[in-house]
Amino acid sequence: MPRSPVGREIDRVDGRLKVTGAAEYSGDYRAPERAADLAHAHLVTSTIARGTITRIDTAAALASPGVLRVYAAPEPIERLALYGVTGQAAGFTEPYIPLQTAAVHFYGQAIAMVVAETPEQARDAAALVTATYAAEPPRTSIADEPHVPAGPTISGSPSSLNILAPGVESIDAALAASDVVVEAEFHQNVQHHVGMEPHAVLAVWEEPDRVTIYAGAQIPAAYALGMAQRLGLLPQNVRLITKYVGGGFGARVVLWSDTPLAAAAARELGRPVRLVLTREQMFTLTGHRSHLTQTVRLGASRRGVLNAVSHRSLAERPSTMSFTMTPAHSTSDALYSTPNLHVDAQLAVLDIPGSRAMRGPNEAPGSFALETAMDELAIATGVDPVALRLRNYATTSPSSGLPWSSKHLDECYRVGAERFGWSTRSATPRARVDGQWLYGTGMATAIYPAARRTGFAARVQLRNDDTAVVSTATSDLGTGATTMVAISGADALGIPLARVTPEIGDTYLPPGAPAVGSSGTHATVPLVVDAARNVIAELKRLAVTRDGSPWQGAAAEDLRYERGILHGGGRSMTFGRLLTAIGSRGVDMESSPGGDPIPGVIHHSFGAHFCEVRVNRFTGETRVTRFTTVADVGRVINAKAARSQLVGGVIFGIGHALLEENHLELRTGRLANSTLADYLVPVNADVPDIDVVMLDRPDPRLTGPLGDGSEDVGTGSLGARGLGEIGTVASAAAIGNAVYNATGIRVRDVPITPDKLIEHL
Amino acid sequence: MNPDNDAGHGRSGVSRRNFLGGGLVAAAVTPLLNATAEAEAAEAASATADGVAQVLVRAAVNGAPVTVLVDPRATLLDTLREKLDLKGTKKGCDRGQCGACTVHVDGRRVLSCLTLAASTTGHEVTTIEGLADGDRLHPMQQAFVEHDGLQCGFCTPGQIMSAVAMVDDEGPARSDDEIRERMSGNICRCSAYPRIVDAIRDAQKVMR
Ligand code: FES
Ligand code: FES
Repeated sequence: MPRSPVGREIDRVDGRLKVTGAAEYSGDYRAPERAADLAHAHLVTSTIARGTITRIDTAAALASPGVLRVYAAPEPIERLALYGVTGQAAGFTEPYIPLQTAAVHFYGQAIAMVVAETPEQARDAAALVTATYAAEPPRTSIADEPHVPAGPTISGSPSSLNILAPGVESIDAALAASDVVVEAEFHQNVQHHVGMEPHAVLAVWEEPDRVTIYAGAQIPAAYALGMAQRLGLLPQNVRLITKYVGGGFGARVVLWSDTPLAAAAARELGRPVRLVLTREQMFTLTGHRSHLTQTVRLGASRRGVLNAVSHRSLAERPSTMSFTMTPAHSTSDALYSTPNLHVDAQLAVLDIPGSRAMRGPNEAPGSFALETAMDELAIATGVDPVALRLRNYATTSPSSGLPWSSKHLDECYRVGAERFGWSTRSATPRARVDGQWLYGTGMATAIYPAARRTGFAARVQLRNDDTAVVSTATSDLGTGATTMVAISGADALGIPLARVTPEIGDTYLPPGAPAVGSSGTHATVPLVVDAARNVIAELKRLAVTRDGSPWQGAAAEDLRYERGILHGGGRSMTFGRLLTAIGSRGVDMESSPGGDPIPGVIHHSFGAHFCEVRVNRFTGETRVTRFTTVADVGRVINAKAARSQLVGGVIFGIGHALLEENHLELRTGRLANSTLADYLVPVNADVPDIDVVMLDRPDPRLTGPLGDGSEDVGTGSLGARGLGEIGTVASAAAIGNAVYNATGIRVRDVPITPDKLIEHL
Repeated sequence: MNPDNDAGHGRSGVSRRNFLGGGLVAAAVTPLLNATAEAEAAEAASATADGVAQVLVRAAVNGAPVTVLVDPRATLLDTLREKLDLKGTKKGCDRGQCGACTVHVDGRRVLSCLTLAASTTGHEVTTIEGLADGDRLHPMQQAFVEHDGLQCGFCTPGQIMSAVAMVDDEGPARSDDEIRERMSGNICRCSAYPRIVDAIRDAQKVMR
């Protein structure tokens, strides 16, 4: 009898392909039938941030060996034939048409593309393209440019909110009436996703109006739809293959310039075209997290009970593709109980490369500000940081008043404090010194919304060899989605994992859930369970109607499906043998539409981080030495991959706290740290072992009822809640709070680099 | 000015034309060159020179002799990927800043994006495709799967090649911290680092 794989430590189903180099990423596809025909593209990018291209000199490039085409802005529309994108796909597509305009919106924009016989010839010729511009001074300072309200958040909530207790006139009045007030301002520079795979695309036209695109995409359906509109094609004539993706983190949500350009060149040239961005181009052509300042004001009683929370932000809004930065959203508007709450997000339009959600898009910066301010409040009131948070624990949302579908944050604090040994901590800074190192500890709370998503589908096929295929066009960015689909299918059908083949990452499959917003798992699992339920019903229908079935003429209600076997009338048969008996290779069904939001509750994942750092007294260098995270993320589908996601999330927080920033040059609008030598991400030596615990409390109100075991289909994979981002939320604050505890120095401007500590040490 | 110039890809005086213009003379599986092939190769070299004499590289790749004509400036990384169709070795930066392209030359870990293909003549090159023994994974590959030392998998070939040479060529690490230090040339943005350390700690016990 197979044991359900749900919640166990399961190796990735694609692990073997990944460790042998056999997994094909977008840049590895060969277009086998047309390999000899393959042409290679290379982009040329702008060296001003705002203005108009007056002339691009392509003569030298065109004369260069192997060069087939040079496309230079502004291309006449007939050549590349790219069009605007409207409707649903517009939110996931760059708003300007690449190369068909002379306007320059940011430093590093694609302004020309060379296509040649080999990648080296294309790259070489691209270096020979020169441009002249009518440049205008770029808008680069969020402080100086006009501020505009951010507008609704990605989930549609207002970006500005003012909730006041009866009789309270304003948030300022509420703060003024509080015994203790903490006010703090925070700043962070531009950050980047830095997926290890540079964006790569291969475009192969099968017919003049039909193309297959190989590219990494987090929302395959929207990406393909955007491509169809960009290319002026029917949606069904674009097929996107996105099987192995070298990291997403938000940068592969958007249809940027590269993919449409490669496809347009392939069409115009009549040959398959591959375009791979350089690492440097990745920094300007595939998005970043906007830089921002935040101000948090907390008013509390002497015991630390919150009376007022105010959280304001000012972030950049790139003049082209822009993620609406609302960092108080899902942090200050949800985390603590408070009678007076004010959140507000402002933006300043800048001539800077397009931005996009980056892992914990609002929540990572927002929680850094709020959770640092809470630490300051703990110090101001003398209340232990964990006790302070429990004292302000919310059982209903402070902004909407609604209860949570499932919330065990208090347990996260308790379990985490226990594992970490929090009780032995001294609240006094610089209490622990060992040689040149000052040791300190800190903690912080993580919260991340769990959005319910609908409109997607999965298909389950039962085959006559007793295997099953589960198909849904979601994307696996390294999250373990492929394995999750297999596990959910195996549980739903009650068959061993090895007999389930997952299929994802191809828009010819049923439209799958987007790999965004930590929602891929909880959006996909109900689809798989439902498709399995439907296919079991269909199997029974075949059993009672088809020639060759021992149950022909019986009533479907009298059959019971259990663990891959149909039972009824004293007979039993595996689905494979039944299918063989009726002369069928396989039967498949899709999930039914549905899964509408459940009114009256809100959904979040939660977590508590505990961190120890040591800071060198002489150099100001900070090293993270211990880290414990306890996460309340609903049902765990694959303990192994889930832990990796949470650990990876925490390590993103180490980068946020200590390493990552790209400086925007105010005069030129250039992002100055755009190489992997200048933009530092954590490496192995920066990372201690990360202790992660998952509470594993299913959240059935998010995914649908767990069932009572009376159904034929297994429902053991329901109740999951997203966990891809929660590790990144507030882990930077825990580190900053530990640095304060070690040194007595509060750094509100991340990353906490040695120069910010050394002068005070 | 073209930004590619500061990035180091521009022409610095010499032409990079026909960077990899020479044809592949013998596939990875063919035995060492015979005299005819050598003559053909020489002819091909002069025919495609375009101002830059092509170089005949004769190396062993994953145990098989390989002969290939390359531009003298061709990197080992591009030659492996584009000429020998060994796509397991990844390009994360092309600048020696990420480790994704790590392979072995005579058992040593090198960054193939910073290694000239021409310099590998007479040497043994091993890539991720050459690590497993048929269907049997190398203990390091096995340990990466079991410990989940990977997520997206893009850095993984480089991590594994780096880890294998770290143990085999430089000697096993004596502590976890030593593994961390010695593996810090390989970036993993998915941040599988703790599990990579677990995998190496385990694998080095059964290696050698
Ligand atoms: S590709 Fe060679 S080090 Fe990055
Ligand atoms: S596994 Fe994704 S970068 Fe290492």
